[in-house]
Amino acid sequence: MTEALAQLAARPVLVVDFGAQYAQLIARRVREANVYSEVVPHTMSVAEMLAKDPAAIVLSGGPASVYADGAPELDVALLTAGVPVFGMCYGFQAMVQALGGTVAHTGLGEYGSTQALVSDLSSTLFNGQVAEQSVWMSHGDSVTEAPAGMKVTASSPGAPVAAFEDDERRLYGVQWHPEVVHSTYGQQVLENFLIRGAGLAGDWTASNVVEDQVAAVREQVGKGRVLCGLSGGVDSSVAAALVQRAVGDQLTCVFVDHGLLRSGEASRSSRSSLRRPASRWLSSMPVSSS
Amino acid sequence: MVVVDAREQFLTALRGVSDPEEKRKIIGREFIRCFEQAARDLVASTDGSSDGSERHPVEWLVQGTLYPDVVESGGGTGTANIKSHHNVGGLPDDLQFKLIEPLRMLFKDEVRKVGLELGVPEAIVWRQPFPGPGLGIRIVGEVTAERLSILRAADAIAREELTAAGLDRDIWQCPVVLLAGVRSVGVQGDGRSYGHPIVLRPVSSEDAMTADWTRVPYDVLAKISTRITNEVPEVNRVVLDVTSKPPGTIEWE
Repeated sequence: MTEALAQLAARPVLVVDFGAQYAQLIARRVREANVYSEVVPHTMSVAEMLAKDPAAIVLSGGPASVYADGAPELDVALLTAGVPVFGMCYGFQAMVQALGGTVAHTGLGEYGSTQALVSDLSSTLFNGQVAEQSVWMSHGDSVTEAPAGMKVTASSPGAPVAAFEDDERRLYGVQWHPEVVHSTYGQQVLENFLIRGAGLAGDWTASNVVEDQVAAVREQVGKGRVLCGLSGGVDSSVAAALVQRAVGDQLTCVFVDHGLLRSGEASRSSRSSLRRPASRWLSSMPVSSS
Repeated sequence: MVVVDAREQFLTALRGVSDPEEKRKIIGREFIRCFEQAARDLVASTDGSSDGSERHPVEWLVQGTLYPDVVESGGGTGTANIKSHHNVGGLPDDLQFKLIEPLRMLFKDEVRKVGLELGVPEAIVWRQPFPGPGLGIRIVGEVTAERLSILRAADAIAREELTAAGLDRDIWQCPVVLLAGVRSVGVQGDGRSYGHPIVLRPVSSEDAMTADWTRVPYDVLAKISTRITNEVPEVNRVVLDVTSKPPGTIEWE
């Protein structure tokens, strides 16, 4: 494995999960932009997060209000570490709380599709987009005053401050959920943050993980022997193929007919037909030599 | 590659059990017992070889754990705290193997890409997901050999018709569920019938985290329904599950 690949895998974009059901979706969207990402819980300390050497941080949505009982807090140290940060929805409001703006009970909550009005189409987040865009909102409180040093770049009927940006400190946020498909330019906003804001290359692919894992498995296993249950499904087959590539014939695959298989997958004849092709494609796979 | 016929072993272990969690646990445990036996057989069969390097015990077990499982079971709080998530439903406490989980950083669609790159055949890469516990969790109620054969027949018809209609790539998966504890009255030919309902659960999804029920064309549904009630005598009613996820999970158990 080259050093560059190790570097890529080692520097994740961390998606801080504030309890939203969307944290995983955000991680997927980041990877769709060819940037490696991992989800971490908001309870992880800033020191632990920074120890992962993150390339950027995304703060997810969460509970309805930063004033709610037990609403998770954001440690301002995460915003002053020099790592680019992008807050969404709750994460956006938590940034305001931490940096000293105003989150107010305006009675102007927005739930569902809303029109956001972008005031600066040359900004980092909105470059290359249109001024009026559909966005997906889910908030009760609203930001009425951005923290000092932040440039407000979008507003909506229920959110006077719907987006802000600070290219100096590389801190960004939007009130809406760019990760859901109902936000028309959501993926572009996210990619603009990752590529233009955080300066990431956007050249990660899932294959990078493979090279890492092949090396890791080989180191872990040494000369040991490995068993893999093969069900005929994609997960166990790909896992077997990867381990096969790492340790070759130290791997033995086992197909368990538990009698709970579907028609055509359980009969004696199909067991042997499953067996033959599987051993054929597995044994034809090269063992990586590095 | 070793094939283990454990049909009797699983049916015996599942006898009298209808609680879904209990079923998953039993199936997970029996899987591990099979792997342990296979490991012992493997060591025994190579023990006689003159090459000493062959005598290593089998220490490692590969698991196809994916990233959503990792996040859901430990929130990614660091490897030490992450529960190992067995896709079959829980590992026994006395597990003798150490685990290798090479896909634990990947989402399903990424696993498919990687599979294609590694040369795994397309037929496997694009296969619709099927749960490790298999039809065991698609029979609501106790799992018996007879119920398995009813469900197998209905499932085969549904799969055949969905494939014939060219819907395989539109549908993430389509569990076919037998409500073994439910009977309803019907009329077939000249007689009253009192059979079981079959549930069709076609869903569309990007990654199984969220899903919506698939709008399968009426004529395809009609064909599946007619064929199941005609060809599977124990079934006299076919129903369609129109629940998204959330709130419903994809599988019924």
